Amino acid sequence: MKRKEFFSSLFAFVPLVLGFLGITKMSADFLSPQRGKAKIRKIFATSLEDLKIGESKEMTDLKGKEFLLIRTEDRKVKALSTTCTHLGCTVHWEQDKNRFYCPCHQGVFTPDGEVVSGPPPRNLATYNTEIIGDNVYIYLKDKEA
Amino acid sequence: MGLAQWFKTSFPVDNEALVEMSSEPIPNHLKKWWWALGGTPLYMFVVQVITGLLLVFYYQPDVDGAYDSISRITNELPYGWLIRSIHKWSANIMIASVILHMMRVFFTQTYRRPRELNWMFGVTLFLLTLIFGFSGYSLIYEQMSYWAMKVGTEIAGATPVIGEWLATFIKGGEDLGQHTLTRMHIFHVMILPLAMVALIGLHIYLIRTLGVSDLHFKDEPKTEKKTFPFWPDHATTELVMVALIMFVLIALALLFPVHMGERANPNVTPIHIKPEWYFYPVFRWLKLTNLFWGVMGPMIFIVILYLWPFIDRFFEKIAPGKDLSFWIGIIGTLIMIAFFLWEILGH
Repeated sequence: MKRKEFFSSLFAFVPLVLGFLGITKMSADFLSPQRGKAKIRKIFATSLEDLKIGESKEMTDLKGKEFLLIRTEDRKVKALSTTCTHLGCTVHWEQDKNRFYCPCHQGVFTPDGEVVSGPPPRNLATYNTEIIGDNVYIYLKDKEA
Repeated sequence: MGLAQWFKTSFPVDNEALVEMSSEPIPNHLKKWWWALGGTPLYMFVVQVITGLLLVFYYQPDVDGAYDSISRITNELPYGWLIRSIHKWSANIMIASVILHMMRVFFTQTYRRPRELNWMFGVTLFLLTLIFGFSGYSLIYEQMSYWAMKVGTEIAGATPVIGEWLATFIKGGEDLGQHTLTRMHIFHVMILPLAMVALIGLHIYLIRTLGVSDLHFKDEPKTEKKTFPFWPDHATTELVMVALIMFVLIALALLFPVHMGERANPNVTPIHIKPEWYFYPVFRWLKLTNLFWGVMGPMIFIVILYLWPFIDRFFEKIAPGKDLSFWIGIIGTLIMIAFFLWEILGH
């Protein structure tokens, strides 16, 4: 290739390639959504009067988010997420077997949310709780859609 | 100037080139119609494009309206149930025939040199077909399809290194919602069909330029002429195939029409949940392994599938004439069938 042809090709192709890369990067950024910050909501869950020591309660908030409250001690309440840690399905409480069961891939959890068997990599997530007076509040985490 | 002459002048056709194109020599074994399986996914794709075009006139890709729009198509619009049934059944036949076609190519080892790249295009077409099925199913927005979408996107999220980005990209955010449905819709009706057409074009181009591999059977009488022309001989066989498949397709659509499942509830996973049949082996695999291997297993399988022509060459080098590839294929197929049946019979 002669020098003149080489430089002509260079001037033709380099801007084209750079332009193509630029457009690809711009499109990728445009289509990759920004990760939103998780929002935390404090909601009233129940009163201690309605949740005796050792009892548990499955609840749904107004947004449809499910969670489970367990009163472990006099002034201690544990809140569990019902989302399986494997692939995000919701677990079901099986009263007769005293366990949580995930119908998607057969994950089994204890009533405290610990993994017993199946593929889930972690225990069920917990939410922070707070007891003010006789009322139990829960801090739910929402993902940005 | 007559109308015919005017048309010939305005739209010149090279008759000689046409004759040359249509008289491609076809190997003798393709006279047996069951060897014409590779064309079936193509016909089914055409059926899906036509029925899909009709369905998209009424489908509403929004979380509040998707289910209702499909319900309207199925229960209220004239022939809506039939068009949707044909769309669904043609998708199923397409996937089944792609799998059978791949198995035929695998066991007859026609992926060997110089057809390695065309095998890779074929594997990509197979993956595109599965993604087509997944994205189309997600659009229905009923309980089963919603949770299939949930599990599918979570699997993407568990991919090493790029998982988080990939899942967010597919979902259009951190969780399933309107953005996810919009993306599934765009993939299903726009990006995937374009990619499919391009890849089918490349696949057929390479079949034409490299030619169809010639197969010999032990009991086959030796004939002087081992090929026959594409037109009209092979085209007629293909037409018979099209008629037969269309008959089966319509029969399935009429006998087993589609129904509406329960509306999607993002807060409760149904207690009895199964994916579409073609994901049964993966679904069973996910139950048996931890999350890492659950995701890595199918990925490794896909990589092996892509590289199989080269792995086969390696086997042939270390153990010539031992048919290692054949036996590995048999074991792999039996494992797939076992996982498939296990998922059907187990819970």
